[in-house]
Amino acid sequence: MSSGAPNLSRRPDGAALVIAVILAGIAAIIIWQTSQMRLPPIQARVGPTVFPYAIAGGMLLLSVGTAVSAMRGGFPARDNDNYVPIAWIIGGLVAQILLLSTAGFSIATGILFAFTAKAFGRGPLWQTIPIGVVFAFIVWFAFAKGLQLSLPAGFLERLIP
Amino acid sequence: MNKLLLAALISGAMAVPAFAADYTIMAPAAPGGGWDQTARTMQEALQSSGISGNVQVTNVPGAGGTIGLAQFVNQSAGNPNALIVGGYVMVGAILTNASPVTLEEVTPIARLTGEAVAIVVPKNSDLKTLADLVAKLKADAGSVSWAGGSAGGADHITAGLIAKTVGVDPTTINYIAYSGGGEALAAVLGAQVTAGISGYSEFASQIEAGELRLLAVSSDERIPGVDAPTLREAGVDMALQNWRMVAAAPGITAEQKAAISADIEKMVNSDAWKTALETKGWVNTYLAGDAFDVQLDADIGATEAILKDIGLVQ
Amino acid sequence: MDTFGLLAQGMVAALQWQNLIYALIGVTLGTAVGVLPGIGPALTVALLLPVTYRLDAAGSLIMFAGIYYGGMYGGSTTSILLNTPGESASIVTALEGNKMARKGRGGPALATAAIGSFVAGLIATLALAFVAPWVVKFALAFGPAEYFALMVLAFITVSAAFGDSAVRGLTALFIGLGLGIIGIDQQTGQSRLAFGVLDLLDGIEVTTLAVALFAIGETLKIAADRNQVKEEVMAVKGSVWMTKEDWKRSWIPWLRGTAIGFPIGAMPAGGADVSSFLSYSAEKSFAKHPEEFGHGAIEGVAGPEAANNASAAGTLVPLLTLGLPTTATAAIMLAGFQQFGLQPGPLLFANNANLVWALIASLLVANFMLIVLNLPLIGLWVKLLTIPKPWLYGGILVFATLGTLGANGAMSGHIGPISFSFELVLLLAFGVLGYLLRRFGYPIAPVVVGLILGPMAEQQLRRALAISQGDVTILFHSPIAITLYVVTAIAVLLPLFMRLRGKGQVLGQLASDED
Repeated sequence: MSSGAPNLSRRPDGAALVIAVILAGIAAIIIWQTSQMRLPPIQARVGPTVFPYAIAGGMLLLSVGTAVSAMRGGFPARDNDNYVPIAWIIGGLVAQILLLSTAGFSIATGILFAFTAKAFGRGPLWQTIPIGVVFAFIVWFAFAKGLQLSLPAGFLERLIP
Repeated sequence: MNKLLLAALISGAMAVPAFAADYTIMAPAAPGGGWDQTARTMQEALQSSGISGNVQVTNVPGAGGTIGLAQFVNQSAGNPNALIVGGYVMVGAILTNASPVTLEEVTPIARLTGEAVAIVVPKNSDLKTLADLVAKLKADAGSVSWAGGSAGGADHITAGLIAKTVGVDPTTINYIAYSGGGEALAAVLGAQVTAGISGYSEFASQIEAGELRLLAVSSDERIPGVDAPTLREAGVDMALQNWRMVAAAPGITAEQKAAISADIEKMVNSDAWKTALETKGWVNTYLAGDAFDVQLDADIGATEAILKDIGLVQ
Repeated sequence: MDTFGLLAQGMVAALQWQNLIYALIGVTLGTAVGVLPGIGPALTVALLLPVTYRLDAAGSLIMFAGIYYGGMYGGSTTSILLNTPGESASIVTALEGNKMARKGRGGPALATAAIGSFVAGLIATLALAFVAPWVVKFALAFGPAEYFALMVLAFITVSAAFGDSAVRGLTALFIGLGLGIIGIDQQTGQSRLAFGVLDLLDGIEVTTLAVALFAIGETLKIAADRNQVKEEVMAVKGSVWMTKEDWKRSWIPWLRGTAIGFPIGAMPAGGADVSSFLSYSAEKSFAKHPEEFGHGAIEGVAGPEAANNASAAGTLVPLLTLGLPTTATAAIMLAGFQQFGLQPGPLLFANNANLVWALIASLLVANFMLIVLNLPLIGLWVKLLTIPKPWLYGGILVFATLGTLGANGAMSGHIGPISFSFELVLLLAFGVLGYLLRRFGYPIAPVVVGLILGPMAEQQLRRALAISQGDVTILFHSPIAITLYVVTAIAVLLPLFMRLRGKGQVLGQLASDED
C-alpha cells in the first residue's frame, strides 16, 4: 500500500500539508497537556513528563519532514476513492453505537450488518436489515446464552428467558 | 467413571429450580482478574446452593473499578437484583482518579474475603528482619526500592504507611510500580529490588520453597501456619487488609437490603463457597451490617490521609 | 521416576480414546471461536473455559489445551485471509500472509502457519518439559535495564523492517507512541492526556486499536475502492498445498521463530507480540530475497507464526514454575489450572507431578490434534474468500464489534438519556484513522508496535533509573544488556555494510538517475 510511484508533478500536495499541520497540532496538544500536569513529590529521576515531551518533539520533526515531502510530491499517488460506501459503513457503526443500549444487540448489530452490505452494493435495506437482525440474533444467542458473554439485551433478546 | 461424573454434573446443572431472586453481579474488571473471579465464584455458589436460580455476571473493566462503579450507580439505582463486587483498591482509585461516583452512593452489603500484604526480600538479602529493613529505610529512604503493584494501590499504601509510622517522610520512598503482583514477584526473585510488597498469596509458594524471606505481614493477627510476625509485632504500629466486598444498588428499601444480606450470608455459609475459597486460597473475612459500615468508613478516611501524605492526592 | 518416564505416563493417560475426543472437541471449539475476526485467544479461552468444568481433571485439562492451541491458531486464519488480526501477535502474520492470500496463495500461507505452529508448539512444549528450570533462571536475570535494552533492539530492528518511506514509517510509529502515553502513568498514578475522560485512564486497549486499524480500516478501504466490482476473486491460484520451494523457504524460519519465541515468551515482561515483531525483522534481514517482503514473502508468515506459538508455550514456563501469569491469556489459564487443583509455583513439579505431566502430554496431544484437524480444513477456510463481499464484510464488522463489546462492555458514554459504549466509539475513530493511513500510504503495523513497545520501554527505563537512584550506568551494567546493544548495533550496521559492498553499483545508478 505504500509502494505507489511518487507523484512526478512537483506541485505541493495539499492533503499531505494538512497532515503535517495535524501532526504539529497533536504535538502542541501533548506539550500543552503535559505542561498542565501536577507532578507528585515522588522520588523520580525520569518523571512522567519526559516521554511525552520527547514524543511531541519527534512529532514536530516529523511534521516538518511531512511538509517537505508534501512540497516535493513525495507521497504515493492516491486512488480516486468513493466516499458514499464509507458514509454507509460509518453510519452503520454510529447507528449501532446509539442503538445498542436501548434496542439491544441484535437490532443494533443487524443494522450495522445491513448498512455494510449496502456499502458493498447489496440492498435493499428492507431485505437486508431483517437478514442482519436474524444473523446478529443467532450470534447473540450463541455468545450470550451459550458462552455467558455479557452483551446488551433489548426486547428481542428478552423474549428468550 | 467419567461418564457418571459428567451425567451427575449435567443433571445437577439442569435440576436447579427457579428459586427466589435472580441476581446480576457486576465485576468492575476484565475477565480473569480478582474481582471477576470473586463474582464468578459467587455466581457458582449462589446457583449451586439454590439461593438463586439465575445469576449473571457482567464485566465492566477500567480505572480501578471506578468506571464499573459509575455505570452501576447510573443504571441500577433502585434495582434490588443488582450487585457489584469491589474492594480496597477501589477506595484508592476513587480518590486518585477523582471519580465522580464514590462508595457512599452504593449500598454496601458485606466484606467477603481479605488478604494481608506481605513484605519479602530475596533469600540472599542482608536484611534478616523487618527491623533491618526499617533501619535501612531510616538511614536512606531512597536506597530501599520496593517492588509492588500499581501506584496508589494497597501495596503502595502499605509501603507509605510503614514509612510514615516509623517516622520517614512517605514522599521519599522509592516505590517501583509493576503491573500486577506477578511482575513484582519476578523483580524480587531476580534480586532487582531491595524488597517486594504485595498480597501474601502472590508470594506464598516462593516463600514455602525458600526462595523469598518473609519479613512481616500486614494483618492484625498472624496468618495460621505461616512463620512471620505481623507488622505490629515487628515494631511498626499499623495494620492493613486488602479486602473484597459486595454491594447493592443505591436507593433500595431496607427490606430489600435485608433480603440481599440474608442471601449473601446463606452463600457465605454454603459448602460451595467454602470449597471455592479453599481451592483459591482466599481467606474468609466475612463482615456485614453496621460493623462493616464502620470499618469501611475508617478505611476510606485512613486511605485518603495516606494518599495525601504520599502525594498522590491533593 | 525420570522425566521421560513421567512424560510417558502422562502420554498414556492423554492417549485414552475419550481424552482424544475431548482434545478434538477442544481444538474444534477453540478454532471455531478463535477464527472469528476481533476475538483473540484471551477472550476465546475465557469464553470456553467453563465448558471444561464439566469434565474430570484429566479430561478438562486436555480439552483446555485443545481450546488454547485452537484459539491461538484460529486468529492467524483471518489475519492471512482477511487482513483482520484478532490480537496483536498475529498482526505481523497479516503483513505477509494477506499479501500471499491476495495472490491466490492463501493455502500455502495457512499451511506454513499451521505446520510452523505445530513445529514450534512441539519443540517449545518439549523444552517446557525439560529445560524450564534453566530458562526461568535466564528470564529472571532480566531486570528493567535488560528489558530496556531488549526494547531498544525491538524498536530499531522493527522500524528498519518497515516500509519504504522513513518519514511515513516513523510517523506511524509516533502516532502509536503518542497513543501509548494516554492513561494513568504507572509509576506516579497521574493521568496523562486523558482529558478528564474516565474511560481513557486505563489507556488505549491494544486489541481495540489493532482490530480497528486492520478490520475496520481494511473494510472502509475496500468499500471505497471503485474497482472492487471488477476485481476477480482469487481464492486459489495454483496449489492449495505448499510447494517444494515453500518447504525449503519455511523450515529454517520455523526453527528460528521457535528459538526467538520460546525464551521471550518465558520472560515475565516479554510476550507473543514482541517475539513476533523480532522474528519478522530477523526473517527480513536473513532472507535471500528481502525485496519480496511486503509483497507476500512466505518467510514472513512462517517465522512469526512459529515465534507466536513458541512464545505461547514459553509463557507456561513462568506460569508453571513461578505461578506468574505474564499475559491476559495466562492469567485466565491460571484460573483454569486452579480449577483442576494445580497450584502453580516452584513446588508444582514436586507436589503435582502427575497433573503437570498430564498437562504437558495434553499440550502435545492437542498440538497434534490441531494439525490433524486444520490441514484438511485449509481448503475450506480458503473458501471464506468466495463469500460475497457484502456478507463477508458485514460479518467481519459484526464480529469485530462483538469482540470489542465482549472484552469491554461498559456503556459509559452518555448523550442525553442514551448511554453508549465508549470502546466502540474508539473502535470507529481508529477505524477511520486506519482508512486514512492506508489512503495516504502510511504503514499500519508501526502504530500498533508503538502502542505496545512505547509504554514498556518507558516504564522499564524509569524503573531502572529509579532503582539505581539516577545512575545511568545501570543501563549498561550487565552482560545481557551489553550483548543486546551489540546485537542492535550489528542489526543496524550489517545491512548498511552489505548494501555498500554488494549493491554499490545499483546505488550509483540510482544516484545518476536523479536530476
